[in-house]
Amino acid sequence: MSHRDHRYRVNLFRPKTGHMRDEVIIIFAILFGWAVCTFGFQILLALCQGSGAGSLLTRLTLFGLPLHFWFTGQFLPLWFIVLCVLFNLYIDRITEYHSRRRDRNYE
Amino acid sequence: MNDATWSIFAAFCVLLSFIVVGLRQKSRDSIEYGFGGSFTGRIGGGAAIASNWMSAASLMGLAGLIYLQGYQALAYVIGWTGGYVLLLVLLAGQLRRFGKFTAPDFVGERYGSPVARLIAAVISIAISVIYCVAQFKGIGLIFSFMLGIDYRHGVIYGALAVVSYLVMSGLLGVPRNQQLQYFVISVSFILPLMWLARKLGYFWILPQFGYGEAMGELARRFSIDIASPFLHGSLFSWCALCFTLMVGTAGLPHVLSRFYTVPNIREARWSVVWGLFFIALIYWSAPAYAVFGRLLDAHNGHLQPIAAMADLVTLKTLVSADIPGWLVGILAAGSLCAAFFTVAGLLMTGAASISYDIFYSIINPRASESARMQVAKGGTLALAAIVLLIAINPPGLIAEITAVAFALAGNTIFPLFVLGIWWERANRYGAIAGMLTGVLCTFAGPLLGGVWPQAAALFPITSSALIGAPLVIVVMIVVSLLTPAPPEEMRRFLEEEVHGHLD
Repeated sequence: MSHRDHRYRVNLFRPKTGHMRDEVIIIFAILFGWAVCTFGFQILLALCQGSGAGSLLTRLTLFGLPLHFWFTGQFLPLWFIVLCVLFNLYIDRITEYHSRRRDRNYE
Repeated sequence: MNDATWSIFAAFCVLLSFIVVGLRQKSRDSIEYGFGGSFTGRIGGGAAIASNWMSAASLMGLAGLIYLQGYQALAYVIGWTGGYVLLLVLLAGQLRRFGKFTAPDFVGERYGSPVARLIAAVISIAISVIYCVAQFKGIGLIFSFMLGIDYRHGVIYGALAVVSYLVMSGLLGVPRNQQLQYFVISVSFILPLMWLARKLGYFWILPQFGYGEAMGELARRFSIDIASPFLHGSLFSWCALCFTLMVGTAGLPHVLSRFYTVPNIREARWSVVWGLFFIALIYWSAPAYAVFGRLLDAHNGHLQPIAAMADLVTLKTLVSADIPGWLVGILAAGSLCAAFFTVAGLLMTGAASISYDIFYSIINPRASESARMQVAKGGTLALAAIVLLIAINPPGLIAEITAVAFALAGNTIFPLFVLGIWWERANRYGAIAGMLTGVLCTFAGPLLGGVWPQAAALFPITSSALIGAPLVIVVMIVVSLLTPAPPEEMRRFLEEEVHGHLD
């Protein structure tokens, strides 16, 4: 491709190399953790309803709460906080790395 | 003085104290000019996010729905916390680099089209109005509960109180101290809960985790099962509601604008984490109110939840447990404050949008500053009147009405932001088509339900975004690809400034 034909491209699924690529990797990783625990767990719960595994999920208790209620009502909000912390730590690291490569101060 | 008077007195004191503190802060700010800035570190930023977020839906509606529907209503808890993950990873940093924080501003700049900007403004105003209806219902209920009058009068007095509060703080120029607001609102919610747990004999130091035993007792003694999954709706309705609230969170007008006040992206990201923690504190507590409410009901012989008291379950539970009146007043004041400040914020941004995006940009581009000011003031009153008219006959529970606002935001603004940031090819035609599709999806249930019953099943009014948002994204992509690409300059800006700033 000649220089004149250069088209600016931004695409979540085709990130450029460098900072954006690192960023997109962590975004997908966090979204995966977010989707599996939120929707995956509910699907699991619905699939197991009535079976042995299902009654295990609803009959075991933690802090006096049935396991599935505890997971959704108390663990998931905490999990979201953990995901956000992980994302921020990672982004802090790659920002620092790429800033140094570019010889620029941390913003 | 009896208990009810104490409640009113406590509520009045709390509301008054905000104005006094605000005025004191104002006079101090004018002395140390330039140092009274609104940024107070990451924790302070988080508290500001949380106080912006807290509304009657969080403090009253949430407990009410869990009281009615048990596990099914946890979709609200998850939807209103998990949305911040989406917001943080997909939008926060990029949006901050883009530099536009309200939906009409962003749409106008990114898609470069006055028509798209106008539609986005109208949608934002509609979201604000729907959101405010839920707050007005909360305010009306609290007024009718405390003064012992019927709901109709309660909501009218409440509306008068909100408008006079707006006018007064506008005249005095009271700045909002959001850190203090969050502190007062959360203490007013959690302190009565601790008292309640202690009185009923459960673990009271952390009632958020102590209500498990009460739930066990409900199941054993009264065979009431709050926890059973999917009793009040299917897996689809749970996931659809949860997803709708999540994408709606990431698209709400007053949530995005928070990134404006922090000094840099890093602080913005970390204050989201603190904000999420502060919000979760309230959301861990709300189910406890619901469970204690059901338990007290059962002791009084009501084995089924009473639908009429759902939205007041926090206050009525305290009353039926004989908690001292001043504590009831504090809880009422906290919820009232949350609703007040949410309404104030939304009405003012809505009116600013009428004045700038509709009046100044389209009707009269040569309007003077003072004419625009007049329009904004009139707009606030007009919006308040519209909200009041709808709220007199509220169409649903507080949390449900709020969910409709989230559905609209998730179907229109969220796809617009995500594609606008992450796909340089999205253009104005795609944006306009997408917004129109989104509006149609949101109201497909009531609009098309009669002709096409499937629409009501696929697009439930409170949770239309599970199918709606992906559909809107597809429409935007298809229409954008069929029409000319956006200007070179915008694409360069996106690649080099928004995404390529470090390469």
